[in-house]
Amino acid sequence: MEEKCCCACKSSSEMSLAELPIGTRATIVGISSKSRGRKKFADIGIVPGTELLIEAHAPFGGLIRVKVMETSMALHRDDAADIIMKETEAANA
Amino acid sequence: MRKSFRIALAGNPNCGKTCIFNSLTGARQHVGNYPGVTVESKSGSFSLDGVDIELIDLPGVYSLSSSSPEEAVVFDELTKKGIDLIVNVVDSTILQRSMYLTTQLAELHIPMLLAFNMSDDAKKNGLLFDIGKLEKYFGSPIVQTVGNTVNGVKLLKDKLAETLQKLDDHGVPMLSYGADFDEAIGAVAGVIDKLSVERYKHIPARFFAIKLLEKDSCVMKIADFEPAWEEVEVQLRHLRDKHAIEADTFMADRRYAMLSGACRDAISCTQEKRREISDKIDLVLTNKFLGFPLFLAIMYVTFWFTFICADPLMGYIEGFFGWLGGVAGACWSEETLPFLRSLVIDGIIAGVGGVIVFLPNILFLFFAIAILEESGYMSRAAFVMDGVMRRFGLQGKSFVPLVLGFGCTVPAIMATRTIESERDRKITIMVLPLMSCGARLPIYALIIPAFFAQKYQAFTMWLIYLIGVLVALIGARIMKSTLFKGDGEVYLMELPPYRMPTMKSLLLHMWDRGRMYLQKAGTIILLTSIILYICNTYPEKQEFSQDYDVAIAEAQAANELNDLEVAVLEKSGCFDAEAVAQIREERTIAPELLEEDIECGNNILAAAIISKISKGNEEIAALENAQQAEMLEYTVSGRVGKTLEPFFRPIGFDWKITTATIGALAAKEVFVAQMGILYNEGEADEESEGLRAQLVENYTPLQAFCVMLFCLLSIPCLATLAIIKRELNSWKMAVIEAGGLFVLAYVMTFIVYQLGLLFKIGTTMLG
Repeated sequence: MEEKCCCACKSSSEMSLAELPIGTRATIVGISSKSRGRKKFADIGIVPGTELLIEAHAPFGGLIRVKVMETSMALHRDDAADIIMKETEAANA
Repeated sequence: MRKSFRIALAGNPNCGKTCIFNSLTGARQHVGNYPGVTVESKSGSFSLDGVDIELIDLPGVYSLSSSSPEEAVVFDELTKKGIDLIVNVVDSTILQRSMYLTTQLAELHIPMLLAFNMSDDAKKNGLLFDIGKLEKYFGSPIVQTVGNTVNGVKLLKDKLAETLQKLDDHGVPMLSYGADFDEAIGAVAGVIDKLSVERYKHIPARFFAIKLLEKDSCVMKIADFEPAWEEVEVQLRHLRDKHAIEADTFMADRRYAMLSGACRDAISCTQEKRREISDKIDLVLTNKFLGFPLFLAIMYVTFWFTFICADPLMGYIEGFFGWLGGVAGACWSEETLPFLRSLVIDGIIAGVGGVIVFLPNILFLFFAIAILEESGYMSRAAFVMDGVMRRFGLQGKSFVPLVLGFGCTVPAIMATRTIESERDRKITIMVLPLMSCGARLPIYALIIPAFFAQKYQAFTMWLIYLIGVLVALIGARIMKSTLFKGDGEVYLMELPPYRMPTMKSLLLHMWDRGRMYLQKAGTIILLTSIILYICNTYPEKQEFSQDYDVAIAEAQAANELNDLEVAVLEKSGCFDAEAVAQIREERTIAPELLEEDIECGNNILAAAIISKISKGNEEIAALENAQQAEMLEYTVSGRVGKTLEPFFRPIGFDWKITTATIGALAAKEVFVAQMGILYNEGEADEESEGLRAQLVENYTPLQAFCVMLFCLLSIPCLATLAIIKRELNSWKMAVIEAGGLFVLAYVMTFIVYQLGLLFKIGTTMLG
């Protein structure tokens, strides 16, 4: 995946789940239509409008842990890149 | 009232469903497999106020669609006729997400009872429910339960009895997807109604209409509904025009909207205190830097528990079988049915005993694994290890089965069921037999101390295990980039909050796995013991190349000491009092007394006597061995081994190792016992010094290493083959696996042996 923007994105506040730092609360804006997991995500509550908390990154990379509807879920960075988020709260508030 | 009911237990993964299932049914469970898929089916029975109840524990799912084999199973099971009641277990601390499934279950219009589980936690978290409102909303009675306490389950039982009394007048759920959506659903339902599909008459058309609008692949596959597809397209187009929606997730969207509406009305929260402790533990256990070392430490403790704590129990079991063999031998005189007697004592009791000895290991290992699983740590381990495993074409969830593989491959392969991705699961299963299982341990334990100096022993053991792991990882990597190319499934894993496991479920879990091991001991290993025993004994050779009995008797007579010689030895001080007494008694020096070097100082006379006797002893042993060898060569084992010897010669095996290795293909446990029989050491185990001495005499360290390597890389046992067939649902894969491993083992061993010969490594004794 090619990501060129960094500082500009934060202020416009839309970015993928894979890019959010730990501790961020953000709301799902949409899920890319090319994502393989749309249905599976929907079944556990990853749908537009849900708020997520980025809880942790796995030690050797790859997995991201998010809290969705009071449940901790681990998903892969590649899949998280398809989930478009909008920040709702500053990090480490 | 009726006398029997079928009840299905449904719910999300980690909602405490299994705990409730165990509490209701106790040990009266039947664990099996759904045909054609690798989903475990569990059912149990219990009686309630004189009514027989069959309880079906459905696999945990998040939704009633078809994005996984589990969901498809739940869908089939619930849409089939014959379910009288659904008990939907819901984690009441996370009601909103858990009830996503409930909305879909309610649409089936099968009477339902909602169990709001973990209600104690919900109370602690300050959640209050308006039960009356929620009951009306879902058209189902609700009971608040605590799955891991007796009292919490008693409430469920009472409510269950009450619900069964009035099954016929259950309520109607008031689930609305919003005006436009309900209209579309109604239109499709109308078409389905007209089709009047006999098979699904008991389920409202509305349920299928919703599923068709969602393009659920399970329902799309039902040919009966095909005429309705046109209407579905019309309605979808219509909906898309009005609401900018995406077809595959809009129903999910609506359900969450529905639930957040219902929850707003019926749930109130008095305080914000949720799962804080659990999250704090995770700050440490899944920490970027601490996570991995802590994981290793926990694995170490698990193995320590398995091997150290089980050790005394193994001693008892060993003792028991020794005693049993002794008692059987004493009660059963050698004259009556001598064949059957030795078959039972030397074949069955020794063979099966040798396997059951490992039962404590297996039980302790699974007890430890159950603790890790039920406390919630297992998913953290997968989380921590995922990054590493992915580099080798596996994933976090592959790690636990691979670790289990060090214990026993059979349950480890069963544990791969937690891996949703079919491809990752297949690769994990294919490489699992390479993890050195507990049954191979006795082979190493016999060989390593015999051939390798003390300081190299631990290293050699470590090396063998490491070779297995490396070959497995490289194999996985290769398979991922050749056989199983392409994208896998989406990876999603829940990390449930830490919970204290209950003793009951730990024991049930442990027993489940232990039983499988016992079954293996009782069937495959029993059978192989008998077959090998017969192969090793028959046909019996009657005529030998020379009369050994006479020759041995002559040699023994020549080896007898006269009074003078005994007196010389007695005075020489070469032997202690006990040994002297034995010498006087036997009038010869038994071989075991000569095993250690004897210092006789200047007593030339005594030294000469000892040297003469020891030469005589060797002569007798040589004669006995020659007789034994001739007998063995004449048996089925000997003939098979001799025939195959040319094939195994290039990897350093003689015919004896060849027969033992062939036996070990059935079960690795057999190897040591077989070598013991071939070298006439009777009931040999890995501690047998006599057998070790024989091995050192006959083989080089290089050959010994090759034996271990071959046993490590070839298929662990027939049970593994059977379980691979079952889990991959294909005999072809199982046979390919066994054949592939054999070729791999042969080629690797060939290379090592030939290189070793070339560079003269390990061809003479080390240390």
